[in-house]
Amino acid sequence: MGFIVKVECASETIDLSLESIQTLEFSTDTPKDSNARSTDLGSTVKITGKILTAVDGDPADSTVKLSLWSMVPVEKADCYRKLTVDVISAGQVVRQINLPNAFVVDYQETYGDTEGVGTFSLIVKQKKDKLANIVLNGGYPAA
Amino acid sequence: MGFRIKIEGGTESIELGLQSLTQVKFETDTPNDSNARSTDVGMALAISGKILTAVDGDEADATLKLANWSLVPAEKADCYRKVTVEVIAAEQVVREIYLSNAFVVDYKESYGDTEGVGTFKLLIRQKKDKNNLVEYKGGFGLQ
Repeated sequence: MGFIVKVECASETIDLSLESIQTLEFSTDTPKDSNARSTDLGSTVKITGKILTAVDGDPADSTVKLSLWSMVPVEKADCYRKLTVDVISAGQVVRQINLPNAFVVDYQETYGDTEGVGTFSLIVKQKKDKLANIVLNGGYPAA
Repeated sequence: MGFRIKIEGGTESIELGLQSLTQVKFETDTPNDSNARSTDVGMALAISGKILTAVDGDEADATLKLANWSLVPAEKADCYRKVTVEVIAAEQVVREIYLSNAFVVDYKESYGDTEGVGTFKLLIRQKKDKNNLVEYKGGFGLQ
């Protein structure tokens, strides 16, 4: 399976493609101890991937922009961004996940002296009062 | 063993069949520290399965509807749905479990770049004041 991740805000766009992304997790979560459907609903997307080194004069990948996004303070409007993730397999978009007001909960980059690539792990959540704006789609041919 | 799940409620019906489901777990849970039978009984159903890619023009599987169900807010009536699970082996229905007012506690989808299918995990629970409507059957031939 391949993944295309796009993060958009007013000032920039972060694109990460099939080469970079390794795993994707989408979850919705309510309190485990509730007796009925809870209004306390959270929606999380977790993405892990590679930090590629640019060779032969290629442009560097946009993971550096991800790390900058993770440092944007809450006072700024662009800490909330539009996240679109496509899961592609056999020419089909199996799932398209769209969080229009996503913010970074955790971001981690890991490097080691025995590896040629670094890895990153990004956890984003949809702003809780905007949960109704999440759009899930899938089951159509990839463009 | 094979599993069949039918979820009815709101405007749609979600059906997942033998190809998709990998595990079903039914749990009743009372506080472990109670000295006598507790009135605090929780009934949960944990379902795991595969998210299949549609090939050769097949229809996409119904996991997308599961994901959308997990996002239905508590204010809406169709956050509670009727769930029927059949456990089938050797043309026998080993167990048929029916939850009349099930709601989603947690839902998770995982994808990886080394796999051809995604996986999902769904945890649902019967609305606690409707526990007596849960039906548990089994040991009859498959129709």
